Amino acid sequence: MEFGWSEEENVYRARVRSILAKSLPDDWDEIAVHGPGSHMQTEFSRQFCKLLADEGLLIPHWPSEFGGADGKSWDHFILGEEIWAAGEPRGPQYMNVNWIGPVLMQYATRAQQEKYLPPIVAGDVIWCQGFSEPSSGSDLASLRTKAERTEGGYIVNGAKVWTSYAGLADQCFLLTRTSAGKGGIAILLVDMKSPGISVKQIPALIGEGDIHEVFFTDVFVREENRLGAEGQAWEIISYALQNERIGIPRYEFARRILDRAIDKLKADGRFDDPVVQDRAGRVLAKCEAARLMVYRVVDERAHKAPASAFGNLARFSVVQADHAVSDFMLEYMPEGMLGADPMQQAHHQRAIAAGIASGAAEIQLNLAARRYLELPSETSRGL
Amino acid sequence: MDFEFNDDQAAILDGLDQMLAGLRIEAPKHGETVVFAATLDDQLAASGFLDIGREQGFSTLESALIAERLARLPVAVEASSSAIIGLLFPAGEVERPLAVVQGSPLMPARFLPQAHSLLVDRGDDLLHISVDRARVEPVESLFAYPYGRLTSLDGLETRSLGEAPLAPFRRRWRMAMAAECAGLMRSALDTVLEHVKTRQQFGRPLGSFQAVQHRLAMASGTMNATYWLAMRAAWSDSDSDTAIAAAYAQDAIPTFTYDLHQFCGAMGLTLEFPLHYWTYRLKALLGELGGSSAQARAASALTWAQD
Repeated sequence: MEFGWSEEENVYRARVRSILAKSLPDDWDEIAVHGPGSHMQTEFSRQFCKLLADEGLLIPHWPSEFGGADGKSWDHFILGEEIWAAGEPRGPQYMNVNWIGPVLMQYATRAQQEKYLPPIVAGDVIWCQGFSEPSSGSDLASLRTKAERTEGGYIVNGAKVWTSYAGLADQCFLLTRTSAGKGGIAILLVDMKSPGISVKQIPALIGEGDIHEVFFTDVFVREENRLGAEGQAWEIISYALQNERIGIPRYEFARRILDRAIDKLKADGRFDDPVVQDRAGRVLAKCEAARLMVYRVVDERAHKAPASAFGNLARFSVVQADHAVSDFMLEYMPEGMLGADPMQQAHHQRAIAAGIASGAAEIQLNLAARRYLELPSETSRGL
Repeated sequence: MDFEFNDDQAAILDGLDQMLAGLRIEAPKHGETVVFAATLDDQLAASGFLDIGREQGFSTLESALIAERLARLPVAVEASSSAIIGLLFPAGEVERPLAVVQGSPLMPARFLPQAHSLLVDRGDDLLHISVDRARVEPVESLFAYPYGRLTSLDGLETRSLGEAPLAPFRRRWRMAMAAECAGLMRSALDTVLEHVKTRQQFGRPLGSFQAVQHRLAMASGTMNATYWLAMRAAWSDSDSDTAIAAAYAQDAIPTFTYDLHQFCGAMGLTLEFPLHYWTYRLKALLGELGGSSAQARAASALTWAQD
């Protein structure tokens, strides 16, 4: 057991920082403030991810057979920490490298891999995830978007909602229903330019371009674009969410925003207040707790251990940290939300989504209770 | 970065577990608020486990691993102070068991009835007192540690160690406290998990209710975070990491102990049910070294002063 970075890892982090420093434009803060799904940030991601790809930093953690460098799990997280804390210049493409690509590597046919992975590797494709529906949020398995068999494929009808990045997406990782129950869900990889798809942005607290309604009206999807077998979707989704839930190193952005807040409080002569120091210390402890909880999950990966439900606990701790930092600043630096600090608002907008996106915090607690603590299910009955 | 034990750490903990297995330590079945494990104390002193941090190639991390493991026991033994704070002094200079206190040397202190040394953080210096046990008055309490207070300092050998050792003393005190909290939380949670899986109400196990599940999942998150923060602090032995670890642990104690007792109902209020052996040590640690606010302010000052 030890908690330090190796010299090699420090060099790697320094290289990532150096590339960020030289490649982000002077007005990056103004771009980043709108969020990863914004038009400006999405467009920027197309050039930035190409640059990362050229530097070998877009998918270094992927296996070499898919264009990666067989990089270490820790390097992937160092990269993620630096890039997310910088405001996520990969825009929506962070999803590609964190979970869409890995899911395709695990479950796609060779032909699908040859079609979908190269654009991710090159850094010039935007994906969206068509999961939630108007009547299926946390209860994802109740989804209704219908995929009916037709010659050569499926006809899709239905609606998705709160779909991140859909407005500018090229592809959709779409969950559809082919029959009843969890076994009746199929995953279709859908070209967003297909006839019958319409997208409407939903104005939201969390920033421009982040959430949308997506309507599917008689959309034809070829059978070869189905990922896995029809009954395999839930297994694939579970695998995807394992990667997604701690995929974003939110604790790092939260910690850096907190550090920044303390600098401002010091400059204003307000950090001498013991009440402020007390509150800041408790928030700091939550950030570092979240960091170590996530690191514990990364360590599982580094040791090639099967993913455990510890990831659900880690995710919950990250949500607590993100909110703690945001609440601290709302209380002691409200001026930041009134125009004085756009990055404070940007952090707040990410924090309020942290416990909702990719499975609500309460779902994480459900899963941790049952799978990690092995508590009995709600339908248990007495002896 | 590696969260798994190395071979040496695994061997140390395996050896400790074997020693503990031989002692067959169980929670007392009769109603007592505290049980001091005198035999275990003797064996720990003789075995060298508490001096492991002095050995070549080992550090406070191995000491903290031992302190955490011993805190899981339902009985109290003075280990974390000896194993972690004691390393600040040359071997044999400060005789264990150790009691530590902040403020007045006449304040009640954990393990003072068994201690040979009392270390007092007086704010501007660290005072060492060689304890004459005949001068210690036991203090009865609900806390599951043996407490005592000195009746007076007259005739006792006292020695000011000056101001310089205060910062490292507080750092190690925080480290010891965090490691001990982690072990206490683990056993307390395990006890309650077993209870809610078997205790039936409304025709189903208590642990099947979502209102219970969520809070236990959060308690598990708290316990795990306390453990990893404590171990990182023990690895780095840095002022800020230790203050963060202690602040997190103390901040979490009220909610953690409240929830665990809630799920055991009136059973958890009895001395027969063992939960109090861990929760009432946690509650005792809540007020140590100034409490959670002092640790949080220290974490702030120590972390952001380094910028």
